[in-house]
Amino acid sequence: MSKARVVIVTSSRNFSDINRPDPGIILTMLKKGLEALSGAARAEEALREWFRPGETVGLKVNTIGRRALSTSPETALTLGLWLGQTVGREENVIIWDRTDEELKEAGYRISTSPGSLKIFGTNNRRAGYQSEPTAHRHLGSLFSRIQAELIQASISLALLKDHGLAGVTAGLKNYFGAIHNPNKYHDSNCNPYIAELFETEPIRRKHRLTILDALRVQYHRGPAYHPQWLAASRKFIFSLDPVAADTVGWKIIEELRAKKGLPSLKEEGRAPGYLLTAEKLNLGQARLENIEIIEEEV
Amino acid sequence: MDRREFLKCSLSGYSLCLLPGISAAGNFFPGSPQMGARLSRVEARYYRQLPDREIRCDLCPRFCQLGDRERGFCGVRENQGGKYYTLVYGQAASLNVDPIEKKPFFHFLPGSETFSLATAGCNLNCRFCQNWEISQMRPEQVKSVSLPPEALVTSCERYDCPVIAYTYTEPVVFFEYMYDSSLLARKKGIRNVVVTAGYINPEPLADLLRVVDAVKVDLKAFNQNFYSEYVRGELQPVLQAIKQIARSGSWLEIVYLVIPTLNDNPTEIRDMCRYLKNEIGPDFPVHFSRFHPMYLIKNLPPTPLSTLEKLREVALEEGLHYIYVGNVPGHPGENTYCPKCGKLIIERYGYVIRKKELSGNKCRYCGQVIAGVWS
Repeated sequence: MSKARVVIVTSSRNFSDINRPDPGIILTMLKKGLEALSGAARAEEALREWFRPGETVGLKVNTIGRRALSTSPETALTLGLWLGQTVGREENVIIWDRTDEELKEAGYRISTSPGSLKIFGTNNRRAGYQSEPTAHRHLGSLFSRIQAELIQASISLALLKDHGLAGVTAGLKNYFGAIHNPNKYHDSNCNPYIAELFETEPIRRKHRLTILDALRVQYHRGPAYHPQWLAASRKFIFSLDPVAADTVGWKIIEELRAKKGLPSLKEEGRAPGYLLTAEKLNLGQARLENIEIIEEEV
Repeated sequence: MDRREFLKCSLSGYSLCLLPGISAAGNFFPGSPQMGARLSRVEARYYRQLPDREIRCDLCPRFCQLGDRERGFCGVRENQGGKYYTLVYGQAASLNVDPIEKKPFFHFLPGSETFSLATAGCNLNCRFCQNWEISQMRPEQVKSVSLPPEALVTSCERYDCPVIAYTYTEPVVFFEYMYDSSLLARKKGIRNVVVTAGYINPEPLADLLRVVDAVKVDLKAFNQNFYSEYVRGELQPVLQAIKQIARSGSWLEIVYLVIPTLNDNPTEIRDMCRYLKNEIGPDFPVHFSRFHPMYLIKNLPPTPLSTLEKLREVALEEGLHYIYVGNVPGHPGENTYCPKCGKLIIERYGYVIRKKELSGNKCRYCGQVIAGVWS
């Protein structure tokens, strides 16, 4: 069995403002990450291999933490514009989350104009939820029409955070924002719900790439914003294996916690067991020994 | 008569014309511009503040512990900066005038009309929910109207309803709205009834029982596995709530939705009836209701009539006095029979009372006191 590959790209350059990262640096990091992940000489080749020109691609961001703790608009816009220009047309890219309001509070400007990159939430009148629930294992949810109908390919552009219940919230849990009732799936450390949600047809069939925004990492008391436990990590994490990406994200959170003398998530009784569940469902690799980690610096 | 015909002719309840489109079902509009209801911001009761702006909700047995900007399992209560708020206070997502028999209450003011309402949200997640279009939604995902307690009571008076029913979804999750409305309604001589799954902690329930007159509890099954698998809750707190209600002086009725193969084991029902008789006595009515495929359980047929009849028989054998068959209009099991002389004393067809042979609270034939609230 071949190992899953995860690439961590760290910026050696200090951002003048970590809350508003420089798009030029971000683009350099994204290119480096995708080149290392794909083995291609140029990142654009990889993008053209993974995404087809006619496809509409969704970038699922996480904006529940407002401007202080969301997938940064600079990251999403840099990726969205570059992806659109490389693969097809920028109007075929949708940056999205649950609501227009959350996107705006996180610093995004809602955009639905023809010919340009789209940014809107499921509650926008162009979207909404499907009217019939999708039942899958323990789940029963209405899917966002963005995920289920408007896009053909998906990138989970999630924020890496500690989570009081799930242990870690990253690329897999980001898709909780694609259903109408995530509040129903936070018991039992969100296990098996996070894994089972990813296994549903509208997500598994469309998901192509995980990119974790770890420029800043809330390593304790997440997912809410607590500046005293926020690390300026200046990293992006890339993988085609959604479980491996989150497993490496977990490792990074544990390292930050250990450095600050905090107990591990396991010691706190909230290790992200959903990762092993996801592995059992053949969604990816949840064990570090089965993951090849490539570290790059730009 | 099939189910559709039945619903068409027997639903004497009507959606209020002042609220077009608002009814107990089907008021979720995917993609509609009216999707976003206004959210209230009234501080919730029964919670405690924890360090780092976290809170713990003490309203129901889930005890949700939430960080800033997180919502509880119910989806309608939110931590905002370390304070907990109800987002549905005065936000009615469903409003109808219904006969009280529809709730069902058979021993509480029979023939009365109830001003019935619900907000979005529920603290359970039943896979067979009949009102999932509002109960399993967040408030911003349904259409609702602003109807604060004062306006609710005024509307109830305008429609000449002697009773307000908090129903359809799970009233526990809109506790503050229900409590304040009930208090106000009582002052105007209006009674309050609650239709709930009974998933609530003892302290808020005790407070609620001081202001409401009757509670109907949906007992979903008599085993924990069913509660874990199909309800996402715990059985024990529900049984505790049933006992607490029965001992409070408020009227109690119990509904048991019988789902083929899942919770229809006669041995288990016998155990349940024994338990109820021991713990609360034989006089609180139990309704065995017919299941219809819905929401996430569409692969099972409607409950066979023979199953309902069998379970009714079991309950009567165990000595419970008032056992009903629900959702089967015209069935003799809809009627009330005197537990002493056995004569028919209230004849029903669906939600309609056809005959009532009570003298005050007594059987007209033998003088036996019939448990209930009759006036």
